[in-house]
Amino acid sequence: MSDIGKIRIRVPSNAKAGDVVRVRCLVIHPMERIERDAQGKIIDRNYNYITRVTATYLGKPVVTFDLTQSVSENPAFSFALKATAPGPVKVTFVDTHGGKYEGTADIAFA
Amino acid sequence: MAEALTRRSALGRLGAVGVVVAAGALRDPAPAVGQASSSALGLQESVQDGLKRVFGNRPMKDGASVIKLDIPPIAENGAVVPVNVEVTTPITPASYVKTIWIVADKNRIPIVAKATLTPEMGQAFVGANIRLGETTDVRAVVEQSDGTLLVARREVKVTVGGCGG
Repeated sequence: MSDIGKIRIRVPSNAKAGDVVRVRCLVIHPMERIERDAQGKIIDRNYNYITRVTATYLGKPVVTFDLTQSVSENPAFSFALKATAPGPVKVTFVDTHGGKYEGTADIAFA
Repeated sequence: MAEALTRRSALGRLGAVGVVVAAGALRDPAPAVGQASSSALGLQESVQDGLKRVFGNRPMKDGASVIKLDIPPIAENGAVVPVNVEVTTPITPASYVKTIWIVADKNRIPIVAKATLTPEMGQAFVGANIRLGETTDVRAVVEQSDGTLLVARREVKVTVGGCGG
């Protein structure tokens, strides 16, 4: 599981200033689901899943996702943003085991 | 090495101790934080209870004309179902889409995800991959900055359940 926290972010390479672009990001994470014992009772432990995803562009927040265990393993997210200037898009993932993963991608104008 | 304890090794060891202490300090409060946020969002409940808990008795208008809910009608694998939500109302600093909830009616955790948006986005569009336990309606609930709630729904047939937990 050494891949946990590996992040891929895709931004369009041919954006123009003022365009609304769509950013896709993906993180490698198990997003553990609730387990039940033979009686169907929930096993109570601290499941490791991502609770919060924050994206910023040029240092300003763009979108925040609050997640539950109903979100897929290796979750992928997409969102739109208005590309006003070349600069970094930074996405931060926080999970229930205190893990914090960050990835950046640069928006550059063609 | 002649000297057993150099400045470098001593500092290195100190640093390692610091990391261990920090990790221990982090590990203890982390579950509490995780549980707190999961109790706010990801409860095991029926969809009626969930919607009531999150939205109270606020009226929900049918937003099918402005919400584009893009989901495959048949999901072969319930473990990964891509959901894209786009709201076509114009975005101005005064009136924009504030929050988008994704709700899967028959999941054990029906309130799947909540996205908090900002006017910087230029377009109210979010997407995520979610799990669906069985064939169910998926709703997108949109809250605008003036507090109006809009909802759109679509049925997704699931061949193999992904067990939403």
